[in-house]
Amino acid sequence: MDIVTVTNLTKSYPDLARGHFVAVDCISFRAQPGEILGVLGPNGAGKTTALRMLSTILTPTSGSITINGADAVTQADEVRRSIGFVSNNTALYDRMTAKELVEYYGGLHGLPPTLIRERISKIFSKLRMEEIGDTPCGRMSTGMKQKVSIARALIHDPPVLIFDEASVGLDVMVARALMETIASLREAGKCIIFSTHIMREVERLCDRVAIMYHGRILDTGTLPELAERYKQKDFEELFFDLLTRHDQHPETSVA
Amino acid sequence: MNLSRIRLIFTRELRDQVRDRRTMFTIFVLPLLLYPFMGMLMLQVAQFHAEHPVRITWIGEDNWPTDRPLVSKSDSENSQELIRWSFMSHDAGGRSESDWHEFATEAVKKGNSDLVFISGPDVLRAFEDRAQKLPLKTYMNQASDQSVIATQRLNRLLDEWQRSWIRDQLVDSKLNPEILKPMTAEVIDIAPQETKQALVWSKLLPLVMLIWALTGAFYPAIDLCAGEKERGTLETLLSSPASRREIVWGKLLTVMTFSVATAVLNLFSMQFTSSFVIDQFTRMGATNVGATMGPLPLSSLTWLIVILLPMSTMFSALALAVAALARSSKEGQYYLMPLLMGGLPLVLLPMMPGMTLSVGSSAIPVTGAVLLARALIEGQYREALIHAPIVIGITVICCLLSVRWAVRQFESENVMFRESERFQWSLWLKRIWQDRTDSATANEALLCGMVVLVALFFGKMSMSSQVLSWTNFAQTTIAVQLGMILGPCLIMALFMTSSLRKALRIEKVHPLDLVMAIVLGISLHPAYLQLSSLVQHEFQIGAETREVLHQVDGIIAAAPLWSVLLVFAIIPAICEELTFRGFIFGGLMQQNGILRAILVSSLFFGFSHGVLQQSISASVMGLVLGFIAWRSGGVLCGIATHMTHNGLSMIVSRFGKESNDVPVNLSWMFETTSEGELSYSSLWLASSIVISILCFAWFAFRPQTGSIRRHSTIGTKANSFVA
Repeated sequence: MDIVTVTNLTKSYPDLARGHFVAVDCISFRAQPGEILGVLGPNGAGKTTALRMLSTILTPTSGSITINGADAVTQADEVRRSIGFVSNNTALYDRMTAKELVEYYGGLHGLPPTLIRERISKIFSKLRMEEIGDTPCGRMSTGMKQKVSIARALIHDPPVLIFDEASVGLDVMVARALMETIASLREAGKCIIFSTHIMREVERLCDRVAIMYHGRILDTGTLPELAERYKQKDFEELFFDLLTRHDQHPETSVA
Repeated sequence: MNLSRIRLIFTRELRDQVRDRRTMFTIFVLPLLLYPFMGMLMLQVAQFHAEHPVRITWIGEDNWPTDRPLVSKSDSENSQELIRWSFMSHDAGGRSESDWHEFATEAVKKGNSDLVFISGPDVLRAFEDRAQKLPLKTYMNQASDQSVIATQRLNRLLDEWQRSWIRDQLVDSKLNPEILKPMTAEVIDIAPQETKQALVWSKLLPLVMLIWALTGAFYPAIDLCAGEKERGTLETLLSSPASRREIVWGKLLTVMTFSVATAVLNLFSMQFTSSFVIDQFTRMGATNVGATMGPLPLSSLTWLIVILLPMSTMFSALALAVAALARSSKEGQYYLMPLLMGGLPLVLLPMMPGMTLSVGSSAIPVTGAVLLARALIEGQYREALIHAPIVIGITVICCLLSVRWAVRQFESENVMFRESERFQWSLWLKRIWQDRTDSATANEALLCGMVVLVALFFGKMSMSSQVLSWTNFAQTTIAVQLGMILGPCLIMALFMTSSLRKALRIEKVHPLDLVMAIVLGISLHPAYLQLSSLVQHEFQIGAETREVLHQVDGIIAAAPLWSVLLVFAIIPAICEELTFRGFIFGGLMQQNGILRAILVSSLFFGFSHGVLQQSISASVMGLVLGFIAWRSGGVLCGIATHMTHNGLSMIVSRFGKESNDVPVNLSWMFETTSEGELSYSSLWLASSIVISILCFAWFAFRPQTGSIRRHSTIGTKANSFVA
């Protein structure tokens, strides 16, 4: 049963340098609970715009998004309760402690204080961040900040988690810990949409991958499916082949 | 709206700001230190303040009558502190007049002397003759403060000398010197001491309070909008269940809290420090200071705080809306500076001499509130009570509009996710050409409005001196209408849109709508004249302007009626409606901006009329025409109303000149006022208002046409965000 359904999603806007610019061009994909869908693409492929539309921050120009049975445009409130959004920077309030910040977002989701405290205790324990609960976010390391950011996204126990290039700027150790956390969330039955431009992360983590380029999804599938389809075992080579083919034949290369 | 979410956002933002040392210092610590520091400085300056002496060179002191010296030996010594004299004989070195002229000019120019005073050899003769004025010369430099002060001090000496001389002449002629001052009116000041003390504070404190309220809103607004964008926290907040409206209200309450707190802290700090300083001055012997600036009564502070709340709401909402445009804190400061510059004149306006609370002044945002606060502090409760409804009404409208703007800013993807684009004229022009749609965008409409106003400013200034005859006046008016109002609009419509007809909103209308528009033009006229009369009463036209208008009236009255109607009714109605209710209105209507379109187009329309009194009345008429433009879906009905209204104004003004010309069957509509002028009768005024209401109802409840529906669904051409 799909928990995320994206159909013919398009976002366009006028742009001074590029004229009328189509950031996301008629993309469609689906994702299920307990699955990590990787959205892989180079910078400027339209990943952030697509995920911003999924998280109801932007309104689509056309197409539809259904998350947990609710439409992202007409039932945005329902969708926001079903998603946790982790952006490509840690996006924390420097002058708040980790606990205050997570409590704040729990309150915005309308959770009662006792439940918030209970969940904070569980999440902090699971993410091994009890010791930083009372530390102001401004004094934390990047890895700690990323943990707080994930705890913030998990406080209302959403069935869908959206990670927008969450590993950008993290060192190897922290990035590895993040991958482990995301994998454990999959085990907990969460549906995870994970955008990245790092192929190794996709190979290690994602159940399925959607390759985005110039606002379009060039192809979607599991890694073995893609390898079989393009007769290419090296994923990096496969990725570049797809992009090159699209550059040469833009109209015929889209899945 | 979920109030608990608003409270949650508010408390978080408040806590976040309170933890910021820089904000706390600027908003709370600075006011507490500023006034004591200023007070200390004032006391220091007062203790060591002294007037600086000036240097005056007197050439020809030997030519002055010895029996009546200008500067006696003792005076010279006494005034040594203020004037340092240098004396030169006029005969020294056998210099001619031109030599002395050169010498004096050089001396003042080089700063050797602040002033050179020349009394030539003819002075003594003129003095003895008593039939001539003394030929004296003073060389000074207006650009030098010292030189100006020297002139004032010398003039004081000369005045004293003259008075003394005249008095002696009268005594010699057996006349009483008191005839020079035949009367002395005794001044009895009935103002209680407290009121006199409040007078100074009533002018100063609202100004200080509102400037601080504005300043206090700035930094939190920048941090809460641009700062959040910079840190990336806004994105996660927008993806939370809190709606944009809830987020705005939470942030607005925070900004308001800081705005109010800053202003109140400043008031109390100023009050405390001033009481102390005034007390010290009084002890030092400056009793007049204590008499005019006593400690401010606490009741005055209460009134100020009552006024402060709505003002802070408005300032905070405006600051929030403007700060939302910025991508970084630094950019936020750039954007908020024009808001400060725009707000200051409204705060400073009440400081102008003679500015008091009236119907007109109370209708000016901010200014009305300041004047109301002043009236309350001065104890003029009756005046305050009469004008309070207007001030409250205007303030509430401004607050609502400001909050609405702030909410819309947060709802706009274009504003929230705007990123820097490298600006290139060629790309911009290419994009405008390529992305042309049927109507202008809101930005293009605003640009058009501003271009028209600038063109009108320069055009009218350069043509104002050419009004000599009707032909000349008519040519100028037509040139202004075609060249400065319709011209820019047509150029922009041709270049920026793909359909001239749709850009100018030239849509077919039902004949009945057209009839109702004409009826409205007729029925609104009496009410409009009443409004104009009220505006002119409240904002008196200056004598010079009145004289010019009188001349223009004379020229128009002498011209043939058909040409007057062409110049003042037909051409303006077409040009102004196509521009203001066509291109500008159509652009501003994008993205359901109907209220914005009506308000902004009426303001542009109002400002396009040169005289302030006309601008106010025209702005109100602009609201009516905007409503018709919206409900009728095009400009034709507005043209009909505008043309009828202007035409009627011209015809009625002629009746005014020749009252016998009023047709007999229309005589019931007019009456002669006590000033002997023709005006609409009360019966017709009341009837016309009823008819106008019916016309409004017709337009309000008429079925929507395709053109209206189409405008509400036009695409979001201006949307812009970043992938």
